[in-house]
Amino acid sequence: MSVPPELPSFAANLAGVLFDGDRPVPQAVDLRLDHGAGVLDITQPAGGGETLRWPLDEIRRLPDSAAREGAVLRWTGDPLARLQVEDRRILSALPHPARRAPPKGRGRLAAWAVAAVAAVVLQIGVLIPLLADRLSGFVPPEGERALGEATFEQIRQALAGSGLPPLPTCDAPAGRAALDKMLLALGQDNGAGASARVYVLDHEMVNAFALPGGYVVFFRGMIDAAEGPNEIAAVMAHEIGHVENRDPTRHALRSAGSIGILGLLFGDFAGGAAVLFLTERLISARYSQGAESGADGFAYTALEEAGVSPAALGDMFERLRDRYGDAQGITAHFLSHPTLTSRIARARAAARPDAKYGDILSDVDWTALKSICD
Amino acid sequence: MPPQGAWRRVASRVTIPLTDSAAPPPVPEQGLDVWFTGNRSALFWLALKSGFWTVLTLGFYRFWMKTRLRRWYWSAIRPGGHPLEYVGDPWEKLLGFFIAVVVLTFYIGIVNLVLMFVSFSVFQSSFVGYLASFAGVIPVWFYAQYRARRYVLARTRWRGVRFGLAAGAWGYAWRALMHWSITILSLGILWPRMTFWLEKYKTDRTRFGSARLHQGGDWRMLYRAAVPFGAGVLLLGLLALWMAVLDPLIPAGGMSWDAVSDEAGAAITYGFVPQGWSGPGRILLVFPVLMLMIYGIIHYRFVTKRILANHKTADGIYLRSNLKGLRISMIYVLGTTIAYTILAAGIAMVIGTALGVLGPLAFLEAQPGDGDLFGAVPRWLSFAVIAVMYLGVFLLWGVLHHTFVTFPLMRHMAITLDIGNVAALATVSQRARDAFAEAEGFAEALDLGAAI
Repeated sequence: MSVPPELPSFAANLAGVLFDGDRPVPQAVDLRLDHGAGVLDITQPAGGGETLRWPLDEIRRLPDSAAREGAVLRWTGDPLARLQVEDRRILSALPHPARRAPPKGRGRLAAWAVAAVAAVVLQIGVLIPLLADRLSGFVPPEGERALGEATFEQIRQALAGSGLPPLPTCDAPAGRAALDKMLLALGQDNGAGASARVYVLDHEMVNAFALPGGYVVFFRGMIDAAEGPNEIAAVMAHEIGHVENRDPTRHALRSAGSIGILGLLFGDFAGGAAVLFLTERLISARYSQGAESGADGFAYTALEEAGVSPAALGDMFERLRDRYGDAQGITAHFLSHPTLTSRIARARAAARPDAKYGDILSDVDWTALKSICD
Repeated sequence: MPPQGAWRRVASRVTIPLTDSAAPPPVPEQGLDVWFTGNRSALFWLALKSGFWTVLTLGFYRFWMKTRLRRWYWSAIRPGGHPLEYVGDPWEKLLGFFIAVVVLTFYIGIVNLVLMFVSFSVFQSSFVGYLASFAGVIPVWFYAQYRARRYVLARTRWRGVRFGLAAGAWGYAWRALMHWSITILSLGILWPRMTFWLEKYKTDRTRFGSARLHQGGDWRMLYRAAVPFGAGVLLLGLLALWMAVLDPLIPAGGMSWDAVSDEAGAAITYGFVPQGWSGPGRILLVFPVLMLMIYGIIHYRFVTKRILANHKTADGIYLRSNLKGLRISMIYVLGTTIAYTILAAGIAMVIGTALGVLGPLAFLEAQPGDGDLFGAVPRWLSFAVIAVMYLGVFLLWGVLHHTFVTFPLMRHMAITLDIGNVAALATVSQRARDAFAEAEGFAEALDLGAAI
């Protein structure tokens, strides 16, 4: 170190404006760099006032300034005083103009972070599902039915498209009779007090779903895709399982509670809605995969009691898998249903190998059911 | 430090004749212009960079983004050449957010679920439940708005002196609810009354150091700002009168509403004019009137700010705003048009890509049931692409909004403002720090802080 470090040298003293942190009155000051002592001397030109001595290594520059010239400086020893300079050459004399304050209150932050995560997990994972399960039992049946009817109308309207009459239900008398026979065989009363009502919508989608109030809805595409009445009976038994477990109502209550909470977490940052959707889907999937397995279990028993092989459910799933493929890897976690492959295996395992199973409908009835929409 | 004290004392009493010739001359400044420094491209890069990190961290960086953008804007606004300073800390925002989540999670989760249950049981629909849960959040919303303003003011300094806002968030919330009710019941005629009283509530609790701000004036003075909007409403009314009564567009002849709306639908779809309509070209007059009404809304929003600013004082210091309604409307309309055009084009591109890679059936099959939305492995990749594009579009929209809307609006509002009788500033002194643990957490959780 034979050569001294190069230090900025000023022909004249620099000028600046000091705010003392008490009064909003600018004080014109002269600045002098004292390299020997490593301080910045701040003096009032009139000779009045005491000289402030700010250690150079403790001077910081205010970040993210919009100004193209000048800078505002502060000293870590005084949280309020500010020094505004027009000449940026002084910055090169500061060893740490951008060093941040040491963190403080991190323990408190961590505690609240844990509390926030725990509150959300507790709410979404435990309290809301529990409350939804309990409350769903208290929704009056007529209320549930009206809710299901309204949703059913909305779905029919949405599938038909705006300006058109709602998608018609298929009501060919022979086909309806076949459906009623199937319901009866699955142990469902089809009189006035029936808990499940089955409808067929004239649409090519291969799908079926349950709504609150015992609505079980098939699309014509599903009946067309089935290769025998047992496959339809298996899907019907699965959807009746949802009805018996009041899954649609539970699901509606649960998502009403948890979507509001998730809305809190992902504020208004760009694309928050997408993350919100995916997270809701993930949580929803955790919950409803359980409901699906429950409905599958119900279906095995109902089919067994009707003398139909539970493997029929697996056959239907196989058709779906052939048509739409199956989810694997990460995407499987986002699905409202367990993977088809696992469900096919479970359905086939539920069938007793030594048992003799029959068909749920006669060939005549099956033909009638297939033409329910004609 | 006696000499310094004497120097100040003189500055504060400019009108007293000075007998001591050795004392420094009185401060010559009587008014201060507000300057605005900083250029658009610097802001663009700051917004882009911090927005990028926000997307990358699934939104957590937004506290830093907000802090950095505020620091930038604040430092650009320079009354008398001395910048405002924003001293908010992203970590305290994060802490406040956690606190708000803990409090609001229980409120919103349980309340929503119970409301939905009541809605199912009593009203047999989910709509009432959603409506009630929305209504339940409104008071919290106003509360959060006031708290956020208090936080921002408490973290704003000028010439080293803190601003502040006195406590009173619940008082603000119920006043806001009352004023909104009155405004809705009066069909909007008393809107200026609400604008004035809510602003007065906030201004009268605002402090700059030891100085208290005061909102003077009267609510009726704000009707001037509503003139363009009122003219728009009047013209719309006259147009309706002309086309419905004086010279009916559709000849009176017992046509049912359905027949009329069918005809109108057909006219729009196929572009022909139904027979028997008299002067259908007059319908086009609705568009300029609607434009005038949109202008009227923007004009009201900003010109009321000018009028209110001109009646704000603080211990003898006063504000003078010379904001131009027409110019600010131009900025606003042009800027939002640019930002939304890009947003719409971007969303169209995302949907186009989604349809291209996933096929049109993907959306239909997202229905409840056994159809699988997510299929084979390659789809995972296409979803990633779509997600990145989606986030990118919103990121770009935010950045453009800062560059083309917030920046020019702030600049115009800053440079058209000046401060009078600044000699009185010498009597102002520092105020104590407002600790404020929850920062603007409630506003953050309830999505109120959309601007900056």
